[in-house]
Amino acid sequence: MRRRLSQVQQTHDTTIYVSEPRMADSGSEEAAVIENPEVAPEEVQQDIGGTGDGSSLLKKMEISVSEAEKRTGKNTMNMQETYTVYLIETRSVEALNEGQSPAPDTLWRRYSEFELLRNYLLVTYSYIVVPPLPEKRAEFVWHKLSADNMDPDFVERRRIGLENFLLRISAHSVLSKDNIFYLFLTQENGWKDVVYDTGFQAKADSRLKALNATFRVKNPEKRFTELKHYSDELQSVISHLLRVRARVADRLYGVYKVHGNYGRVFSEWSAIEKEMGDGLQSAGHHMDAYAASVDDILEEEEHYADQLKEYLFYSEALRTVCRKHELLQYELEVTALDLVSKKQQREELATGTVRTFSLKGMTSKLFGQETPEQREAKLKVLEEQITEGEEFVKSKTLECEEYVQNSWIDIERFKEQKNQDLKEALISYAVMQISMCKKGIQVWTNAKECFSKM
Amino acid sequence: MSVGTPKSLPTSGQKSINDISHPLSYEEGVLTPSPELPNTSSIGEKDLSLPNGTPVDTSSPASSSSLLNRLQLDDDLDGETRDLFVTVDDPKKHVSTMETYITYRVNTKTTRAEFDLPEYSVRRRYQDFDWLRNKLEETQPTHLIPPLPEKFVVKGVVDRFSEEFVETRRKALDKFLKRIADHPVLSFNDHFNVFLSAKDLSSYKKQGLALLSKMGESVKYVTGGYKLRCRPVEFAAMGEYLDTFVLKLGTIDRIAQRIIKEQAEYLVELREYGPIYLSWANAEDDELQKPLEGVAGCVSSCSTALEELTEDMSEDFLPVLREYVLYIESMKNVLKKRDQVQAEYEAKLEAAALKREERQAVPTDVEKCQDRVECFNADLKADWDRWQNNKRQDFRQLLIGMADKNIQYYEKCLASWESIIPLLQDKPDAKGESHS
Repeated sequence: MRRRLSQVQQTHDTTIYVSEPRMADSGSEEAAVIENPEVAPEEVQQDIGGTGDGSSLLKKMEISVSEAEKRTGKNTMNMQETYTVYLIETRSVEALNEGQSPAPDTLWRRYSEFELLRNYLLVTYSYIVVPPLPEKRAEFVWHKLSADNMDPDFVERRRIGLENFLLRISAHSVLSKDNIFYLFLTQENGWKDVVYDTGFQAKADSRLKALNATFRVKNPEKRFTELKHYSDELQSVISHLLRVRARVADRLYGVYKVHGNYGRVFSEWSAIEKEMGDGLQSAGHHMDAYAASVDDILEEEEHYADQLKEYLFYSEALRTVCRKHELLQYELEVTALDLVSKKQQREELATGTVRTFSLKGMTSKLFGQETPEQREAKLKVLEEQITEGEEFVKSKTLECEEYVQNSWIDIERFKEQKNQDLKEALISYAVMQISMCKKGIQVWTNAKECFSKM
Repeated sequence: MSVGTPKSLPTSGQKSINDISHPLSYEEGVLTPSPELPNTSSIGEKDLSLPNGTPVDTSSPASSSSLLNRLQLDDDLDGETRDLFVTVDDPKKHVSTMETYITYRVNTKTTRAEFDLPEYSVRRRYQDFDWLRNKLEETQPTHLIPPLPEKFVVKGVVDRFSEEFVETRRKALDKFLKRIADHPVLSFNDHFNVFLSAKDLSSYKKQGLALLSKMGESVKYVTGGYKLRCRPVEFAAMGEYLDTFVLKLGTIDRIAQRIIKEQAEYLVELREYGPIYLSWANAEDDELQKPLEGVAGCVSSCSTALEELTEDMSEDFLPVLREYVLYIESMKNVLKKRDQVQAEYEAKLEAAALKREERQAVPTDVEKCQDRVECFNADLKADWDRWQNNKRQDFRQLLIGMADKNIQYYEKCLASWESIIPLLQDKPDAKGESHS
C-alpha cells in the first residue's frame, strides 16, 4: 500500500511538470520500456505485466496532455460541429534516462474518446474505483467564470484535468496494464473499433438493474453499506461546499472590485487638492492594484475547486463499485432463493405433503394425483436443476467473495489516495489564503504610506 | 495674576491632554478680530492672557499653519495654547410621560478667566446642542460653525435609542464641541460658555430669543435677486472647490457603503462556508478530520475578523464623511452670507455714487458696510484656512485608519491560516513542535 501510494503521490507531483515534457530529465530506473509501438498489443501487455506488481506504466512512459485545439468537422449526422481535441504526448522514460530527448509520440483525442475509455474501464474493472474525468460542462461557477465549453480557461482547466486522469490510470497497478488504455495512448486510428470489439457494452449492467438490486438485497454487507453511505455523504458535502464556495468567490470579487472605485474617485479628488493631491493620487493607484489582484486570487482558487470536483466525481465512482457489489449480492440471493424453493418442491414431491399453499397444490387436489411416472420424471428434472443451482450458487458466492476481496483492496488504496490528495488540497488552499492575506497587507501598507504623506 | 481674572485657576490644561481623543483636530489660533457687528460686542473680550500668565498667541498664523510644526510639536503647542478642553460622554436615557430622550454629559476643564470654575460637568440633550449652534450662527455670522449630526436619521428606520446610534451621535457631538473649543473666536462666545457651565439652560434659552436674533435677519433678506458685481476670485474658487469636494465625498460615501454591503454579504456566505468543512470532517476518519476542522476554524476566525472590519468601517468611517458633507453645507452658507454682505455694500455704494454726483458727502453707513465686508472676508479666509487644515488632518487620519483596519483584518486572517499549516501537514513531530 505504501509503495503504491507513493506512486500516486509521484503522479500528482508530476501533474504540474509533465505538461512540459522537455523539462523532465531525471531518474535512473532501468525498467523495461515500451519503445516500439508496432509491437502487438498482447506482447506489450505481457511485457508490462512482467515487471512485477508494484510497477506502473508511468515508470516507462512519460504521459502528458500538452495542448488543446479547436476543430470543426462533420458529425455522424453530417452536421457541422465544433469540438476540442487534446494532444497526448508520450515518451519513453528510458530514452530520457539515457540522456536523449526523443521527439514524443503524439496523437489527438476528443473528450468523447476519453469518455469511451473510461466507460470501457468502468465495465471491465468493475471492482476498481476508476478515476473520474473532469467535468463535461463547467459546474459550480461563480458569475465571472464562463460556463462556455469553448472558453479558453475552461479548455485549459479541462486539459489539466484530462492529463491528471491519464496519469491516475497509468499510476494504477491494474488499470495501467490495460491494453485498450495503452492503445488509447499510442494508436490514433481505429482505436474506437478495437474498444467496441471487446464487446464491453454487452457486459455493461444496466442502471435500472443495479437500482433494482439496491432495494431488494436482503443481506447487504455492512462494509459496503457504510461505504455507500459515505460516498453519498461525500457527494453531498462536496457539492454543497462547491456551491457555497462559488458564492463566496462571487462576494469576494465584489468586495475587491468595489475598492477599485476608490482608485477613480481618489484620482479625481486629488485634482482639487494641493498638499493632499499626490498622496491621494498614488493611494488611488494602490486601490486599483487591490481591485485587480482578486482576478489572480480567484483564478488560483479555481484549481482548488477542481481538486474538490475530482473527488466529487470520485464519490460517484465509489458508488458504482458499491452498486456492482449489490448487484452481485442480489444475484446470489436470487439464485440461493431459487435453490431453496426447488429443494422444497422436491421435498413436497417426495413426501406428497404440501406445506404451503400453492397453485400447484390446488390443481393437484382438484384434478387428481399425477401418475408415479410423471412424478419420477419431475423429480428427476428437479434434481438436475438443484445440482445446477448448487453449482450456480457456489460460483456466484465465489464471484461475490472475489469481488469483495478485490474491490476492497482497491477501496483501501483509494482511501489512502483520497486522504493524501485532500490533505494536500487543503494545504494548498491554506497557502493560497496566506498569500492572499500577504498581498492584502502589502497593498494596504502601500496605501497607508501614501495617506500618511497627505 | 492676569488682568480681569477674579481668582487664580490651577493650570489644568496640561493635565487633561490625555483626555483629548482627537489629537489631529487641535487647532491653534489664528485669531482674527471680531467684526464690529451689533450683536457681537458682548463677546470675545480682547483680554487673551491666560491666568498662568502665558499670553495667547494671537498673531502668528505662520507658526501654526505649517504642517511640519503641527505634526512635530503637537504636544508642545497644546501645552502652550490650549486652555479649554471639552468632552462628551456617558449618554443616559430619560423616560418621562411626555417624551423619551437621551442626555449626554458635557465635561469641561479650563484655565480661562471667563469661567468661574476650572471644571464643569453638565448634562445636555440634542436640542441644547441645537440651541447652541443656532445661537452661534446668529451671533457669529461671519464664522464657519461646525455642523451638528443630523437630527433625523436617514430613512428613519434606525432606532434612535439603540446603542450604536447613541454612540455615533455622542462622537459627533463630542467632535462638534471640540471644534468650537479649538476655535479662537467661537470658543469665547458667551452662549458657548453658558452651554458648558450653566446648570440649567432653560432660562437662557427663553431670554435669548428676544435679545440676540437681529443680525441673522438683517443679513438674510437684504438682497434677493441682486447679482454681485464681482465676487473676489478666491471666494469663487472656494465655492467651486466645495461643489466638487461634496460630489467626491458623496461618491466615497457610496463606495464605502457598497463595500460594507458587499462585506456583509461575503460574511453571510463565509458563515455558511465554514461549517460545511465541519460536517465534512464528521464523515471522515481521523486522518482528514483534523485538517478539515482546522480549515473550518480558520474560516470562522476570518469571518469574525471581517465582521470587526465592517463594524469599524461603518462606525468610524461613514460618520466622518457625513460630518464633512454637513460641514460643507455650513461653509456654503457662510459663503452665501458673505456674498449678501458684499451685495449690500455694493448696492449702497451705487446709491452713494449717484448722490455724490449731487455733491453730497459719502454717507457713513457705506463705510460701515465696507468695513463689514472686509471683516467678513478676513474671518472667512481665516476660517477657511483652518477648515482646510482640519480637513487634511481629518482625512489623513481617516484614510490611515481605513488602511490600518484592513491591515489588521488581513493580519488576523494570516495568523489563523499560518497556524493550521502544521496541523494540515499532520506530521506527528510537527504537532509536537507547534505545542512547545
